Amino acid sequence: MAGNSELDRWIEQLKRCEPLREHEVKVLCQKALEVLVEESNVQRVDAPVTVCGDIHGQFYDLMELFQVGGDCPATNYLFMGDFVDRGFYSVETFLLLLALKVRYPDRITLIRGNHESRQITQVYGFYDECLRKYGSVNVWRYCTDVFDYLSLSAVIDGEIFCVHGGLSPTVTSLDQIRAIDRKQEVPHDGAMCDLLWSDPEDIEGWGLSPRGAGYLFGGDVASQFNQANKVSLIARAHQLVMDGYKWMFHDQLVTVWSAPNYCYRCGNIAAILELDEHLNKNFKVFEAAPQEARGAQSKRATPEYFL
Amino acid sequence: MAASGPDERLLPIAILIDELKNDEAVRRLNSIQRLGTIALALGEERTRGELIPFLTESNDDEDEVLLAMAEELGKFVPYVGGPAHAHELLPPLENLSQVEETVVRDMAVESLCKVGEKLPVKGVAEHLVPLIKRLAGGEWFTSRVSSCGLFTVAYPRLPADTRAELRQLYSQLCHDETPMVRRAAAQKLGSFAGAVEKDLVAKELLPLFTDLTADEQDSVRLLAVESCGAFATALGSDGCRASMLPVVQKFAADKSWRVRYNVAQQLVALCEALGAETTRSDLLPAFVKLLRDPEAEVRVAAAGKVAAFSKLLTPALIVSEITPCVKELANDSSQFVRAALAGVAMELAPQLGRGPTIEHLLPVFLALLKDPFPDVRLNVISKLDQVNAVIGVDLLAQSLLPAIEELAEDKHWRVRLAILEHIPLLAGQLGAEFFQEKLGPQCMKWLEDQVASIREAATTALQKIAREFGRDWTREHLVPPVVAMVRNPHYLYRMTVLSAVAALAGAVPGDVLRGTLLPAAVACCRDKVPNVRFNAAKVLQRMAPLLDRSALEGSVKPALRELADDGDADVRFFAAQALWGCDHPNAA
Repeated sequence: MAGNSELDRWIEQLKRCEPLREHEVKVLCQKALEVLVEESNVQRVDAPVTVCGDIHGQFYDLMELFQVGGDCPATNYLFMGDFVDRGFYSVETFLLLLALKVRYPDRITLIRGNHESRQITQVYGFYDECLRKYGSVNVWRYCTDVFDYLSLSAVIDGEIFCVHGGLSPTVTSLDQIRAIDRKQEVPHDGAMCDLLWSDPEDIEGWGLSPRGAGYLFGGDVASQFNQANKVSLIARAHQLVMDGYKWMFHDQLVTVWSAPNYCYRCGNIAAILELDEHLNKNFKVFEAAPQEARGAQSKRATPEYFL
Repeated sequence: MAASGPDERLLPIAILIDELKNDEAVRRLNSIQRLGTIALALGEERTRGELIPFLTESNDDEDEVLLAMAEELGKFVPYVGGPAHAHELLPPLENLSQVEETVVRDMAVESLCKVGEKLPVKGVAEHLVPLIKRLAGGEWFTSRVSSCGLFTVAYPRLPADTRAELRQLYSQLCHDETPMVRRAAAQKLGSFAGAVEKDLVAKELLPLFTDLTADEQDSVRLLAVESCGAFATALGSDGCRASMLPVVQKFAADKSWRVRYNVAQQLVALCEALGAETTRSDLLPAFVKLLRDPEAEVRVAAAGKVAAFSKLLTPALIVSEITPCVKELANDSSQFVRAALAGVAMELAPQLGRGPTIEHLLPVFLALLKDPFPDVRLNVISKLDQVNAVIGVDLLAQSLLPAIEELAEDKHWRVRLAILEHIPLLAGQLGAEFFQEKLGPQCMKWLEDQVASIREAATTALQKIAREFGRDWTREHLVPPVVAMVRNPHYLYRMTVLSAVAALAGAVPGDVLRGTLLPAAVACCRDKVPNVRFNAAKVLQRMAPLLDRSALEGSVKPALRELADDGDADVRFFAAQALWGCDHPNAA
C-alpha cells in the first residue's frame, strides 16, 4: 500500500527522470487500477483545467510543459493519451503521470491514446525500453494492464468533449460510449478503436482512414455530434500539427499537440489549451527543452524504431 | 531488506554464475554487471583459477555483454588478490582489446591501463610489455590500434633498454600503413610524450609528430592537432618555439576546415604553453585569421576563445587586433558564431578597462542584446554583471537599460527568465528610486506572465527586492499592486498573487502583515476554485510563524478548520497539514 509520503517521494524521484524500482512500479500500478476503475468511460472533469495532447515519452519536454503550464497539483491537467513510445523516456513519463494521478486523482485526468496498447508498444519502443531499463518485461506488463483501465474520453463542464482520436460511426451519443466495456486491449475495430484512432478531415460524412484503423470524419459529422450531445467543442490530439494546435470545422474541433520537436526532429512547436474557470480558452505554445535542461543520456544514438 | 539465512544468500550467487552461461543475452549481461559480487563469493583463489579462465574463453558474445565485461575487469585487481596477481587479468582484457567493436576495445584499453597501473614494477616488464608487443605486431589493425593506448602506462616503470624498444615500436605505429592505426598513434602521442624523457621527446618523438602533422589523411592531422597542447607542454617552452611554431602556423592554414577547427579549439592551450610573448608576436596573426575563417564552424570555435586568448594580450593589442574582429563577428551571418561570441564577449570588459570598453565594446553588447536569435541575447544577459563592474551603473542604466526593458518582454520565456533573475542584482545597484521608475512596473507584469515558471521566479525576485529596499518601501510600493491582483478572474494568476503575498510576508511591518496580507490570504480560502483554496492553506502555513497568537487563533486557524471540512480531498489534505504545521512550528 503506497501512502502519500511514499507517493510524494516517487513523484520527486520521477521528476529527476529516475525510474522507480520494479516492485515499486507494481505497487503504483495496483494503486492506479483502484483509482481508474472508478472512472467513467466519459469522465466528468471540472474547469479550470489545462488540456494536453500527445507526449510520446519526451520526458524533458513534459518538464518544459509543466514549467509553462504550472506544476501539478497547482494547475489541473487533462492529458489526452499517447504518453509512451517514440521518445527516450516512456517509462519515466508514464510513471510520473500515473503517480500524479494516484496522488491527486481530482487534479489530473489521463485518457487512453492508441499507443496505450500492448500491440503498438511492442513496435514503437515502450516494450524495448522497459526491457532495456529493467532487464525484464514485468514493468511493461504492469503498465499495459493499467492501460486497459484508462478512461476513453472526458467532458469538461458539459461543454467540451475530449478524446484522443476522434468520432466513430457507431457512436452518436455519449451514452453509447458509456456503455462500452473498456477494460480490454484496444480492439481492431468498433467504437472503442475508432475513438482512439479516427481523424477529422475536410470531407463530408465518413471516409476510410489511411492509418488502417478508425475513420476519417467531416465537419458535418462533428456538427451533428456536438449538437446531439450539447457540447460546443471536440478537443483531440493524435495528429502532429506544426503550430501545436489547429482549429477545424468552424471552431467546432481543435487538435492539441504537446510533443515539441516530435521524435527530436520534426521541428514543430507544442501547445497546451488552458481553460480557466469560465472556460475561456488560452493556448500556450512552447518549444523543446534546450540541451542543457536535458540529461546526458539524450545524446545517445537514435533508436532504430524511430519513424 | 529482510534477514535471510546463509543458503538464501548463496542462492542468488549460484543463479548469477549459472546465468553467465544463459542463452539469453540480457541474463548474461545482468550477471556480468555483478561480476564483482560473483568474484567476492568465489574468493580470490577460485576467481583466479576458474572465473578468469572462463572469461578469457568467453569473448565471443554480444557487444553489450563484452563491454560490461571489459568495464568490470578494470575494477578487478582487489578480487584476484591485489597487485601481485593483477597480471592474471591481462589475458581476458587482451582478448577484448582485439574485438571488432570499437567501444569494447576502447573500454578494454582503459581497463588495461587501470590494471597496468597496479602491476608491480617487475610485472610491467614481465607481462605488460610482451602484451604491448603482441598487440602492436598484430595482424589485424584493431589490435595495433589498441596497443597505442598502453605505452604511457608502461613506459615510466621500465629500464632504459626496454624503453628504447617501446619508442622504436611507437615510431612503427606512427608510420603504420592503416590510417586507423596512425590516427590512434597521433591521438595518444601527446600523453606518451608526457611520459618520455624531455631530451628524447625533442630527439625522437618530435620527428614523429612532424610526420603525423603532414599526414595525407586529414583525420590523422586532426588528431595530431589535438596532441599539440600536451606535446608542447612535454617539450618545454624553449624547444617548443623553434619546433612547434611552424607546425601550428601551418595547421592554422590547413586546407581542411576540420583541422583548422581543431586548431582554434587547441590554440589557447598551446599559447599558454608557449608563453605570452610568443603568442603576441607569432600566434596572434594566426588567431585573427581563424576569427575571419571562411568556414562558420571554425569561426564558432575561434569566437568562443576570444576572451581566453585576449588574456595573453595587452589592452592595446586587444583594441588594435581583436576588437575589430569582435565587431565583425557580432554581425556574422551565422547565429552560432554570434552566440559563441556573446558567451564570452563580456569577459573582455575587465581586461580592457572602462574607457576602451565604452568606446569599443558597448556598441557590440547593444547589438548582441538585440540579436534576432534568442541564445545570443541569453548569453549576453547571463554575463551582464561583469560589464556592470567595469562601466558603472549610471552608464549601464543609460545605455543598456532600454535594451533590458525590451528583453523583459522577449517572446522566449527563458530570455525573460534570465533577465528576471538579474533584476534583484540590478535593483541593488540602481537604488530604490531609479528602480521603481524603470523596472518596478515590469516586475508586476511578470507576476501575470503567461509562463508559470516566470510567475514563480517573479515572486522570488520580489522577495529579494523587498529585502533590499526595506519594510517601509515595500509597504508603499510592492504591497498595494500585489494585493490588487487578488481579484484576477483566472485561478492561476490568483495563486501567483498568493505566493507573492507569502513571499512578502516577512518583509513588511507587522501592521501591514496583519492588516493587509493576512486578510488577502484568508479571503482566498473562500475561492470557488479548489486549487486556490489549498494553495491558500499552504500559504497560511508559511505565514503562521510570523504571526502572533491572536492572529493565529483569530483568523488563520478558523479559516483552516473550515477548509479541513472542504468538499475537495486535496483541500482537506493540505488544510489538515497546515493546521498540524501551525501547532508544531518547529517540526518543519
